[in-house]
Amino acid sequence: MPVPELSPRWRKVARDLWIHRARTVIVVLAIAIGIVGAGSVLATWAIVRDVVDRGYVASTPASGTITVDAVTPALLAVLRADPALGSVAAGRTVAARARGAGGWIGVRLFAREDLADGRIGRLRLEAGEWPVADDAIVIERSSLDLAPAGVGESLFVAVGEGAPVPLRVSGVARDVGLAPGWMEHVVYAFVTPAALARLGAGGHLDEIRFVTRDPALARDSIRRVASGLVAAIASSGGRVRDVDVPVPGKHIHADQMNSLLYTQAGFGILALILSALLALNLVEAMLAGQVREIAVMKAVGARPAQVAAMYLGVAGIMGVMASAIAIPASAAIGKAYAGFTAGMLNFDASTASVPVWVIVVQLAVGAVLPMLAAAVPVWRGSRLSVSAALRDFGVSARPEGTGWLTRLGGVSRPVLLSVRNAFRRRGRMARTLLTLAMGGAVFLGALNLKAGIRSAMDRTFDAMAYDLTLGIAPGVPVDSLEAALARVPGVRGAEAWSAASGVLVGAEGTWGSSLGLTGVPVGTRLVAIQPTSGRWLADGASREMVVSARQAEDEPALALGNTVTLRIGEVTSEWTIVGIAAGVLGSAWVSREALAAVTGDPGATRAAVDFAEDDVAAQATTRERVHAALSATPTQWGLTPLVGGLRVTSSRVADTRASIEDHLLMVAEFLSVMGWLMLVVGGLALASTMSLAVLERTREIGVLRAIGARHGAIHLVVQGEGLAVAVASWALAIPLSAPMGIVLGNAFGRIFFKTPVAIAPQWSGVAVWLGVVVVVSLLACAWPAVRATRVSARTALAYE
Amino acid sequence: MPLISLDHVARTFDTPAGPFTALRDVSLDIERGEFVTVIGQSGSGKSTLLGLLAGIDHPTSGTVHVAGTAVHTLSERAMSAWRGTAVGIVFQFFQLLPTLTALENVMLPMDFCGTFAARERRQRARQLLERVGVADQAHKLPHTLSGGQQQRVAIARALANEPPVLLADEPTGNLDSRTSAEVLALFDGLVREGQTLVMATHAPAARAYASRVVSLADGVVIGDEVHARA
Repeated sequence: MPVPELSPRWRKVARDLWIHRARTVIVVLAIAIGIVGAGSVLATWAIVRDVVDRGYVASTPASGTITVDAVTPALLAVLRADPALGSVAAGRTVAARARGAGGWIGVRLFAREDLADGRIGRLRLEAGEWPVADDAIVIERSSLDLAPAGVGESLFVAVGEGAPVPLRVSGVARDVGLAPGWMEHVVYAFVTPAALARLGAGGHLDEIRFVTRDPALARDSIRRVASGLVAAIASSGGRVRDVDVPVPGKHIHADQMNSLLYTQAGFGILALILSALLALNLVEAMLAGQVREIAVMKAVGARPAQVAAMYLGVAGIMGVMASAIAIPASAAIGKAYAGFTAGMLNFDASTASVPVWVIVVQLAVGAVLPMLAAAVPVWRGSRLSVSAALRDFGVSARPEGTGWLTRLGGVSRPVLLSVRNAFRRRGRMARTLLTLAMGGAVFLGALNLKAGIRSAMDRTFDAMAYDLTLGIAPGVPVDSLEAALARVPGVRGAEAWSAASGVLVGAEGTWGSSLGLTGVPVGTRLVAIQPTSGRWLADGASREMVVSARQAEDEPALALGNTVTLRIGEVTSEWTIVGIAAGVLGSAWVSREALAAVTGDPGATRAAVDFAEDDVAAQATTRERVHAALSATPTQWGLTPLVGGLRVTSSRVADTRASIEDHLLMVAEFLSVMGWLMLVVGGLALASTMSLAVLERTREIGVLRAIGARHGAIHLVVQGEGLAVAVASWALAIPLSAPMGIVLGNAFGRIFFKTPVAIAPQWSGVAVWLGVVVVVSLLACAWPAVRATRVSARTALAYE
Repeated sequence: MPLISLDHVARTFDTPAGPFTALRDVSLDIERGEFVTVIGQSGSGKSTLLGLLAGIDHPTSGTVHVAGTAVHTLSERAMSAWRGTAVGIVFQFFQLLPTLTALENVMLPMDFCGTFAARERRQRARQLLERVGVADQAHKLPHTLSGGQQQRVAIARALANEPPVLLADEPTGNLDSRTSAEVLALFDGLVREGQTLVMATHAPAARAYASRVVSLADGVVIGDEVHARA
């Protein structure tokens, strides 16, 4: 079949683009960058949503978990007979530690009746085989890098102060219901109940995980089912310690991830819109330069719609070319970023691909957006009066309101000319300036956000004047523990705390969310939390509670001034919320004394230790000494060595901070990249604008040459004009970065801290950005300036 | 009924110096097959008159009928469509599109107006270029052609849609005398084939070819002579 011949008008369009190919390439690249910015976020979002939705549902997450003293076969049989339940499984979670080359690392062991049973919280085995032997351990994939041993090697695991027991790493599994181990700085691992017994932790299981028969039940309905189970367990002689019912079918971090991607998508779209403005600049300049040609086309019969189609076609063709470049790039970036984002949710996106609809959307947006941007000038241009156009010489020689610049004193003529030139095409200049300024505002906004995140983390962690937290089981006398810790060399101070888990009890007696409670002395020296609303604990005997803003948002009952009912063990008690603290840490603060009064156990199960030294190596040594001190004196606590001594786990505050901060900063870094992308778009806009300016002013440049202007002076005029725009954009970026910072601070703060992050201007960043825009301006104007110096007086003055 | 009829036509422009009347109370009828030259000094209103006939301008008052159409009543959009098939325009500075070859420039009006089947346009454009004597330049871009060759291509373009009226505004104003004579001879040949031609000109030689000479001064018709053509 013969290829249809291109009609003359479309040949004209193609040749116009080709003749101005340098300019075309600049605009195409700029649009491509805009599409990459928005397209990569869209691709990420599509992949992550798909992977999370399909992966999480496929794992059959538990509808709820009930913790009891011990799960017996009889109890399981009772529950499995419950018609409301689809499946029931028993498990247990045990805190342990593993010995590595650099000391001990925290381990969380998950024991299940049958690890291969995929009916609840399916594990996906990525290496090794089911079933798992009793002397073996399977590492959760996200903690593999943290684990001191790889597949086939032995991992030395200790529970409490028991002796380390070697367990062979027999495989790697993924549990999408867990936050990544690398993020939590803990090794997740799966073992059989018999393996727990080998570790001296007893082989019993204490968690009942269940899935309701009706998969569509809402959280409240599941809570009612759980309350029924609690009653059944009690009537079977079991004792319930905790009930946890998560939001059904929704990954715990899904909202955060969506909010994050929406924010990033906003900036991607902004970059795209700014890049489309370049297409507008180019088409507008073409229209201005081809006034006479448009008139001639209309004189020979072209209708306005035909003329408009040609110039919209220019914009559309550039958009399609840009899409062709951008789509593979955005797919690659989107896939990589989706891998990172899915990894933060502990999902695997390595085999996922970008959905076709994402590619279609990018292609459509790439083609349509430049046409939309160019629509108004094209509409005006196509309605040009033929007689007026044939009388006029096309490009206006009339400067647009630059009279005030003529009154500037003490400035050299070339510099004055540069500044005046910059203001001559105000619409085009405004768009170029806006593009550069938005890049600056996003860059500065991201910089300010990073400082804000650090400052928020400082506020959170400065309130914790300790370096190490200890988990101790069973509880030990407060005074003895504090005395023992105080004797350890390298410990400046220590406080014995207590910890318990409470369950919020609803008005109808239903069991609600679990709440971790940390009991501290009211006059604690190691915690200096300033609640953002309400106050700190005042009375050791009163059941007062300070909760985090995150907890208050997740559980509306925990509002300031509310009194809530908590079931702690077998005891139900009333607690009043007296303060809400900003921060990311999950435990509620109560008086140690009041907590002991409720639980009836005055023993300390937690401790905070302040090291004398800041040096990391010295702190590691002191940490070892703390473990050794608590391990060496079991009898001191009234325990016999036969019991196995104390089970002590520890975690460094610095590790907790690093794991949170690293990820927040990584996300903020992505925004910086958006700022850099916009800068590139801005630089291309400036290059395109200056190249148009040189083309339009060929005659003027010829006049300058005719009256004796040298290469240097012409160069200075062009570079000076670019610098005037760049410096103006820098000045505009500073105030623009303020609302940008507020938007970012609100979005990020609400996602990660549940309160806005206070944004502080980073003046060093402002200075850096000035340097950056000056360099970008010099680079962007280099070629237009060279072109200008090549204009000869003879050809320029003959130009028409 | 005359092919072209102007009745009490006036055209006034708003200029920064105040209103300027380029044509005042002009009435003129032109029959099919006439070769009319409009002469007068610069600013006499020749180009304005041609603009009104070409439908690229509206009269301030009066009526303009060309080939049975009341041009003065047409909107800008309707005039574009009408102009493409009703009149062919030849400009002083040729006004060929610089990025299209001679052949493509001639095909352009057919493309815009959808006249002739798409596959016939190239053939017709080639025939027109042969008719005006520049077929050998068909694939060249305008800037590589001489002034006379460009004007011949422009005439071919003006004839592309077989318009009943050919309008030429100072077609020899940018040509040397030898080339001017060639272009006038070409027009003469077209008129002999039945084409109606209205030409604004300063060139005294043009009078020899015209069947009628209309003289303008300060926007007023001051003479209208019918000549016997050689």
